[in-house]
Amino acid sequence: MDNDDGSGSVEARSDFERQVLPWMQDVYRFALSLTRDGSEAEDLVQETYLRAFRSWRTFQPGSDARRWLFTICRNAFLRQRERQRREVLEDDGDTDGSTSFALHARMQSDGSDRILARVDLAPALDKALAELPEPFKSTVILVDVEDQSYEEASEVLGVPIGTVRSRLFRGRRQLQEKLIDYARDAGFASAAAGNGDGDDNA
Amino acid sequence: MAQLWDYLDQELTPERMTAVQVHLEICVNCLPHAQYGQRFLAALHTCGKDCAMPEALRERVMECLKREGLMS
Repeated sequence: MDNDDGSGSVEARSDFERQVLPWMQDVYRFALSLTRDGSEAEDLVQETYLRAFRSWRTFQPGSDARRWLFTICRNAFLRQRERQRREVLEDDGDTDGSTSFALHARMQSDGSDRILARVDLAPALDKALAELPEPFKSTVILVDVEDQSYEEASEVLGVPIGTVRSRLFRGRRQLQEKLIDYARDAGFASAAAGNGDGDDNA
Repeated sequence: MAQLWDYLDQELTPERMTAVQVHLEICVNCLPHAQYGQRFLAALHTCGKDCAMPEALRERVMECLKREGLMS
């Protein structure tokens, strides 16, 4: 039953099923991370798989199908959000991420690091990640949630590895700033700074 | 601290990974930052992981692909 018509042979379709379909849960999770809306994520998954099937002949045998799907998914997401233009990243000098740890040093000085050490960071981070703007959001999701390396993320995003690093570190720093707000909103930071034993400054 | 994120992401060369690890074992200033970074990344890694794909979506995608010519 091998009927090779050159543009969608039985073997090619079988390869597609075997290599691409198993990643649907991962693509859904990625889509949901980007859209933060279940219905929109479902549409994005369908769009991703449709595009993947139509362009299956361009897939390089032996390469990473999951990463390829993430690339298609993110591009489809950006098209839906009418953000086709390339984001221009201002160079704020944070190419090595050291300002993130300078931020942590400030947290140590006002005691909010001790508060954050006692609370579950995940709910606050989940909310902060949803609010993180592009292009930082996609970068953080790819590397920190979906375990892509810098190189793999650069392929998905279509930018140099240096840009991945820069966006990643800036995104992480913005998330950390949100964590500081979280700690302060909880009313703990001022108390931890030693305004008085047992003072309730809330 | 300039390479701390790269270290936590395991993106340094083996030699640099070892050098940073050795440094963290003896530097009381840098170690808390590394520990915080690890905890931060561990918490971040769990974001969005509790979302199961609706089974109806799989069926919907398959129907869509079959209309495009996928025979399954």
